[in-house]
Amino acid sequence: MYPLITSLFLVPVIVSGLLLILPKTVARILVITSSLVLAALSLYVFINLDGVLYFGVPHYVNDLVAVADIVLLVYFGWIALRRRSWLVGLMTVLQFGGLLYVLKILPADHSLQFMVDKLSAFMFLLINVISGIIAIYSLRYIDEEHCSSFRKKHFLSILFWFIAVMNLVVSSNNLEYFFLFFELTTLASFLLIGFRKDELSVKNALTALWMNQVGGVAILAAIFFIIYNGYGEATFSNLLAHASASGILLPLALLSVAALIKGAQLPFSKWLLGAMVAPTPVSALLHSSTMVKIAPFIILRLSPALKDTPVATVVIALTGFVFVAAAISALSQDNFKRILAYSTIALLALMIMMAAVGTPVTIVAALVLILFHGMSKCLLFLNAGILERVFHLKQSSDMDRLGESGPFTSLVITIGFMSLLLPPFGAFIGKWLSIETLGALATDKKLLGALVIVAVAGGGAVLSLLYFKVMGLLIARTGDHDKIRFEKTGLVYAGTMYVLLGLIILSVLGLPLLLTGYFVPVASQTLGMPVAVVMDGWNMHIGAMKLPMVPLLIALFLLPVTIITALFIRFKNVDRVKEYMCGEKINYSFSSFYFSTDRATPYFTTTGILFFVALIVAALI
Amino acid sequence: MNDLLIPVLLILLAPLIGGLVYGFERIIKARMQRRIGPPLLQPFYDFLKLADKRKMIVHSAHAFLGIMHFVSLWFALAVLLLGGDLILVIFLHLLSTSLIILAGYSTRSIFSHLGANRTAISILAYEPVLIIIAVSIFMLTGSFDASAAFNWDQPLLYKMPLAFIALLLVLPIKLKKSPFDVAEAHQEVTGGVEIEFSGIFFEAVYTAKWLDYVFCYTLVFLFAGNNILLGIGLMVFTFFYLNALDNSSARVNYKQMLRFSLTVSFSLAFINLLINIFT
Repeated sequence: MYPLITSLFLVPVIVSGLLLILPKTVARILVITSSLVLAALSLYVFINLDGVLYFGVPHYVNDLVAVADIVLLVYFGWIALRRRSWLVGLMTVLQFGGLLYVLKILPADHSLQFMVDKLSAFMFLLINVISGIIAIYSLRYIDEEHCSSFRKKHFLSILFWFIAVMNLVVSSNNLEYFFLFFELTTLASFLLIGFRKDELSVKNALTALWMNQVGGVAILAAIFFIIYNGYGEATFSNLLAHASASGILLPLALLSVAALIKGAQLPFSKWLLGAMVAPTPVSALLHSSTMVKIAPFIILRLSPALKDTPVATVVIALTGFVFVAAAISALSQDNFKRILAYSTIALLALMIMMAAVGTPVTIVAALVLILFHGMSKCLLFLNAGILERVFHLKQSSDMDRLGESGPFTSLVITIGFMSLLLPPFGAFIGKWLSIETLGALATDKKLLGALVIVAVAGGGAVLSLLYFKVMGLLIARTGDHDKIRFEKTGLVYAGTMYVLLGLIILSVLGLPLLLTGYFVPVASQTLGMPVAVVMDGWNMHIGAMKLPMVPLLIALFLLPVTIITALFIRFKNVDRVKEYMCGEKINYSFSSFYFSTDRATPYFTTTGILFFVALIVAALI
Repeated sequence: MNDLLIPVLLILLAPLIGGLVYGFERIIKARMQRRIGPPLLQPFYDFLKLADKRKMIVHSAHAFLGIMHFVSLWFALAVLLLGGDLILVIFLHLLSTSLIILAGYSTRSIFSHLGANRTAISILAYEPVLIIIAVSIFMLTGSFDASAAFNWDQPLLYKMPLAFIALLLVLPIKLKKSPFDVAEAHQEVTGGVEIEFSGIFFEAVYTAKWLDYVFCYTLVFLFAGNNILLGIGLMVFTFFYLNALDNSSARVNYKQMLRFSLTVSFSLAFINLLINIFT
């Protein structure tokens, strides 16, 4: 097992290096094979991992990590000087000071720097499979980019570098290591967001940099308080072992701050929204399998200690607010990728909330949401890329002819949206589990539970309004186009779409099996207690929650099958007529309808800041 | 056996019952306006006449989505009547509404589009209220199942009167009754999403409205617990209330509807939820 996990770290690093030097055709083969190998490896690790695996690395690696930290910060400092960004500079100075101080007080010998449990293996599977698909997709996307051939290689190289760092993030136990990998994901996203090197890209990349650096500062502060409070080594396992010690709340709150920033929660949502200036595979990567998923991961890791603390309360309240606020902000957007970005922020809020509630069922709900959101968002963002490249569309209001010119793409996007919204798809199951468990929460923590239910109910309705608005544009056509013929988008684009669609459909069909064999073991190990799953006739019980399988199965046939059939079905012996429209003869732009939410949005940032302050205050008192 | 027989019968006969309710409603509404009104079976006569018309569609997907709207609504109703999970029922209802919204968007007809937009906004107006009511029922009965409410030995109404008022305030939106009939609004958008359906394909959308009657009155019946007499009383009361309201009020615009629903109805349901939580 140990060499397999190490190869999950090393293979992408080696591939990343090779991609820079190899010629194009060999590089293509390398990308495809290594994506497959990584997916297979992570699957093998997930199936065969039993219990929690701790392992250490030789002593000199500790020094190496310290040196790497310093080199990284020097690089950030150089960027700050070169780009004249005082915020990046300030954060780098803070980090530098913090790092030097922490290195001084850090106990000399670390052991067992890595910890791989089922949660890590779950994340491995998500990271490697989804990122692998994105890497293959990028082969063509980046080939069509207007830049030098070296920069194309560079792009793919950073992609694999990102995969390696993500694998390291989810398996590190030592917080100093975690800090380095956390910062390395920041670096990778900085390089990818700024890839196009125009003014806007550079500006947004710098925003992403300093915001995520705030998270780094928070981690350093957490390490400091762990040592200062005398818990011993600064590791996740040690932190959880001291779950009821006094003063534990402050490090927990600081780590939560780091998580919330990575998860682009308000007021730190700007970096994720700015990230879309980069080539589209970058957005797909950031939104689905890497970067933002660190947020629910950290909270899941900490959930046994976080549960029922004031910090968890503030995190739940904050994410409840963000869920509604992001959904409302999304309504007024027209750019397709911006709509997706806001809905990512909203759904991330839901995942973090579920993780912070920390009961068995909510943990399962969070995991279900993480996986299905990863697949759906990857599908949607990759399609956003296809829309740009093949159909030259960026604004959702221009898409009202897509149903005629690109029926396959519009079908795939429709399925992607539905899988985020409607039964029986996974994201729906997650949402459903959320509402029902929050109901249970309200019997215990009354007011909080009630308020959060209101947030989830309201935000959910706003999100459905948003998705309908976009889906409606995609499905429109006229009687002249009654018979559809799928467009050709090319092997790479169509192939990755089919793989993702297949994964989504398989996961929906296999949901009962996935719940018992996949999500529940992960949840029970994360929580450190067994989660009971019983099949009772046609109902599945997870803890106290009941999932009626029959209605879900029927819903499965009703909805996706309906939408797909609707595209293919042709009624024979029925006359086609022009729209009646009550005899109106006016010209009308069908996509001109949008919602103005400008009056509400200015308060969102302020409220977000207040929540972050409340988070620290809650930990102090 | 009896437990299952009645729901199954109700499910099978739901379109028929809904049609009768609709026919009766037209009579009552006419009498309130001092007219005689159509015969009770008029909806069914209309139904037969529609079946006989020339078959015309805009495109196949549009017609098919209309039919599936009917099917999925019937399914949602079946889950409700069989005592299924209320949150699931609300989501399934959302699913069926989503299909008719998509149908509305799928044509290039201005009124169809406006209707679909307005239907989507209606969802925003009533869905949160329904979810809050479902959670309140959970607080009271300890289960999200509708069967728990049907078998509760005390009328839910006594414990959650405000939620009942909230339900009464959102029902006109769902059933497209004045003052909240913006989604259909014949004088403005000539029927909204329905406009491009005709003949036998309109039949599905037409009878789906009958199913919605059964759906809504079952939600009202939930508030009576296992007290069947009170349940019938509540349904009769709601019936007269809806028609009196429909006859006596003027249509508001969709913004006013949304504002009213999210401030008044939603707050009522929420206050009720708080009461149920804290007592």
